Amino acid sequence: MWTSRREFVKGATASGIALSLSRLALAEEPGFAARETLPGRQAWNPAATGAGRIDGVAKVTGAKLYASDFRAADLPGWPANTSHAMLIRAADATHVYDGLDLSRLSGALKPVVVVTAADLARTGMRVPEFYAGDLLCPVGKTPLYLGQPVALLIFEDFDTFDQARLALRDEAVLKFGKETGPVKMPNYGAFRFTRVGGPTPDALDVYSPVKNGWVSPGRFEDSGRPIWARLPIPSGQDYAEAASYGEKIRAELAANNPALLVLDREFETQSVDPMFLEPESGLAWYDARRKNLELVVGVQSPYEAAESVAYLLGNAQAAFKPARINNNFAYCGGGFGGRDHTPFPLYVALAAVFFPNRPVRLANNRFEQFQLGIKRHAFKIRTRIGVDRATGKMVGFAADHALDGGGLANFSGQVATVGANAALGIYYVPKVDVTTYAFHSRGVTAGSMRGYGTLQTMTALEVLVDEICTALPLDPIEFRRRNALATGGRTMAGNPYIVSIRTPEILDKLEQHPIWKERAEQKARGQQAGFLVGTGIACATKDYGTGGDGTLASVELTPDGRITIHCDYVEMGTGIGTAVANRVAAHLGRVADQIAVAQVDTFGPLALVTSGDSYTMKQKTQDAAARNPRWVPAISTASTASIGAHVGTHAAAEAARIVFRFGLWPAALELWGIAPNDPKASEWKTARWKDGQLIMPGLPPLALPAVAAKAHARNGVTGAMAHAFNRWAWSQATFSLNGQAWTADIDALAVRRGSGKYVRVDRSNVKFPPTDFNRIGQSYTSGCGHVMRIEIDRATGALRIAKAYSVLECGQALVPEVVIGQAQGGFAMGVGYTLLETLPLYEDGPGNGKWNLGQYIVARGSDLPLHNLEIEVLPPVDENERPKGMAEVVMVPVVPALLNAIYDAIGHRFQSLPVTQKMIKGALK
Amino acid sequence: MTMLTVTINGRAYGPREVRDELSMNDFLREYLGMTGTKFGCGAAQCLSCAVIIDNPDGTSHTMPTCVVSAMNFNGKAIRTIEGHAKDGELSVLQKAFINHFAFQCGYCTPGFVNEGQVLLERLAKKPVARVDLEKTIAEALDGHLCRCTGYIKYHEAVRDVILADPGRYLSRD
Repeated sequence: MWTSRREFVKGATASGIALSLSRLALAEEPGFAARETLPGRQAWNPAATGAGRIDGVAKVTGAKLYASDFRAADLPGWPANTSHAMLIRAADATHVYDGLDLSRLSGALKPVVVVTAADLARTGMRVPEFYAGDLLCPVGKTPLYLGQPVALLIFEDFDTFDQARLALRDEAVLKFGKETGPVKMPNYGAFRFTRVGGPTPDALDVYSPVKNGWVSPGRFEDSGRPIWARLPIPSGQDYAEAASYGEKIRAELAANNPALLVLDREFETQSVDPMFLEPESGLAWYDARRKNLELVVGVQSPYEAAESVAYLLGNAQAAFKPARINNNFAYCGGGFGGRDHTPFPLYVALAAVFFPNRPVRLANNRFEQFQLGIKRHAFKIRTRIGVDRATGKMVGFAADHALDGGGLANFSGQVATVGANAALGIYYVPKVDVTTYAFHSRGVTAGSMRGYGTLQTMTALEVLVDEICTALPLDPIEFRRRNALATGGRTMAGNPYIVSIRTPEILDKLEQHPIWKERAEQKARGQQAGFLVGTGIACATKDYGTGGDGTLASVELTPDGRITIHCDYVEMGTGIGTAVANRVAAHLGRVADQIAVAQVDTFGPLALVTSGDSYTMKQKTQDAAARNPRWVPAISTASTASIGAHVGTHAAAEAARIVFRFGLWPAALELWGIAPNDPKASEWKTARWKDGQLIMPGLPPLALPAVAAKAHARNGVTGAMAHAFNRWAWSQATFSLNGQAWTADIDALAVRRGSGKYVRVDRSNVKFPPTDFNRIGQSYTSGCGHVMRIEIDRATGALRIAKAYSVLECGQALVPEVVIGQAQGGFAMGVGYTLLETLPLYEDGPGNGKWNLGQYIVARGSDLPLHNLEIEVLPPVDENERPKGMAEVVMVPVVPALLNAIYDAIGHRFQSLPVTQKMIKGALK
Repeated sequence: MTMLTVTINGRAYGPREVRDELSMNDFLREYLGMTGTKFGCGAAQCLSCAVIIDNPDGTSHTMPTCVVSAMNFNGKAIRTIEGHAKDGELSVLQKAFINHFAFQCGYCTPGFVNEGQVLLERLAKKPVARVDLEKTIAEALDGHLCRCTGYIKYHEAVRDVILADPGRYLSRD
């Protein structure tokens, strides 16, 4: 993965600051060339034969990759020395903040700069809307949340910084005054999803979110809790209609109908930390003379981070406002959603502009990461399910969700809606009513994290389904078969999925697996041996994509057949570089030689512009904007929501197809001596690559370098740069290439001919997915089933996972080893979530700054069945099935399967997480 | 302030004056720029900061650097992740980690490489029975946290290195 350090284009922001974004290249070459991490660049090339990742060598040799690895001295053109900053944070959110006492930092330990809220106000700093709330708590206000920063201290050098942080350790440096109680704020979102299906699953809905729109109650109690009941008021008729259908569904469930089994249960999930191993970190240098700000950060959302920093500084006093910001994005030492839309880069930028001309580093330690890092939402869930006793089919479903969003809104509203839309799991139910709301609290901010609402609500569902099966009684797999959403069936929002649904195959696999088949014998064996054995099963489906994903890539070919790819997706461990290389190789016959990820700066020739919010814009607005051939609904979005394979590789794949079709294929025809008007000339779809050679039946194989050389020689297309947008379907447009109309799932294109420069190709017939698609909860989904056997010691309650089996489907697995690795990692995270991990929400929780891994327990190898976890990946439904996101779904069924296994072992159903050894021991008494 | 002398990857550093409370992790990362040794928790719980100590008797063991002062390493010889590859050639264990796709984000990898290497060196001196191999690996690596992988591929990579050279690492029991 090697690219020049400063590849960028400039984009103008509304603030008038020129922005550029670069993936940070390795700062220094290790003992041997870091470029050996690139496939094809060295004698031993692990990725070229599928035997390693493209970043493999760098990661086993300790190369500088992560934001936390870089200091000013590592970066060419920067000053040699690095200064260091620390954030002082409030561990009290119920008293007025009265000021800072830095008397411990006297003499040489005194910070060179102290930045407070008053300084931010004085200098004209603006808080981006997404992070609304004071970046630093002002004196005289009660902190908005536990852990809210109040001041930024900057120290000249590391020694001073290090001694100062030791001096401040365990010291009360903040003064608080009168007690106010927590700050009250409006909630972050409240929605009601109600669907009444037609008389058959195929019939039109009577009422649904897709048909009738999304609704919010609009009325709230003083506490902020929504008023869900339909009120006799003239306004809010859209909501009233949904509420009347919803209340009817609830009344039917409450009617004591003897033909129905109705279970009504509550379930609670806990707050947890993503616990990515590299704490957030950043380095920045503001060169006041040149008015240039350089930033080095590692985030999942580089485009957003760059824009947010520009907004922060865009209205600042002249001395604090850069004319240009160059954002350098490093690898992420883990993400899991926790680095998506994090405010951390804002503080890094502030440190630099308040200490100009000196590179400044701001880095969380683990206590600080727990205190300020984004958390997974704690949910309170109440679910009622009605099942026809005669048929074993679910006929009605009602649920109410409440999410603690913590101090800042972040993605709380979105997590609430995703969680609600996931509440039905793999099932079809004709009548559904789900309310959800996310509320502000003084807890640490919750936001995006792997599983994103689905983990919480689908766990509650799958545990309840297990209880239904016991109560009916009905075999858990048979129950799932009878109720599974079929291909073409409508989801809770009222739309069908547009991808393969493979629940039946997954259920078959689970049913046939020895863990499931031998469950009775194993239970008996355990009884004889003196321990309790339980087997649990669960099945999940998880959407991938956000409904507003933009993606960029370019693919280039040299005359000797070497391939270079740039894409905008971020590497946070998911193997995106290897995945994109493999996807392009399917079209160009060879794994790429150079891949640059986290690139949103090399796509200048497309000259893209955007406006509005793709999630909320009206169709009329989109239609008007689309008349500009450079306009797209979103340019680049965060590397999250399991979109690596699906979105992150899409633009590169489309670009590679164009290079093949309009560069390599015409060249191959010429080499074969086939005239353009020969019928064979149109058979390009028949061609296949094998061992680096282009194969066509009846024609001699052609080596890639020969075809590439010919493509260059005849000035064919040797590079393509593309943008695509997905709103639960891909944008589509037609482009004129070589006199032919090429229609593809992209909306912007530039091509390079021979060794020339990229030239934009104007699109025609562009079709962006209709804005009504924003009503869709999800249209892309992948499935995973899980069965596991556990053993519990009667005396101690100690639980051991004896064997586990996961079966998943993800379309075309671009890097099968990475898919397996994600499944294994998802299993570990699921086990930790079920049994170990928890954070108190308020004063005893991470916002107090005292949490670290000594208290917060995550799964270690000894907690897992390292040699007894079997993962099976279903083959794609056909060779053309596109890759599907899978990194989230693999975690989801682990949690309910484990809970169901615990019930099977001890006969007690836990309705909250985590289930600790102490709780199991208590239940056994 | 005290004078520190330490040998890192075969190269002598110092004598150099350092503060008594300076951690070895900060000495490596902030003073020497050797950031291959990671900072994860600062509480010796994740061991992404672990380095190898080469003992005078020819044995080796790992030690966290985040909670241990640099002065504790005075006079010692240590190895970090930057020192495993020789003359451009990765170690057998490094290659095994790559071949197994053992890591994802890679931030914990230096700690696992160091711990795995120490295990190999220990087994080379004191082989283990085949039947005890998985347990031995599990115990050796269990102190290290990984949030991405689920550990399995790390364990499989170490095991395959050992099984590829049974005469060296496994006893005949």
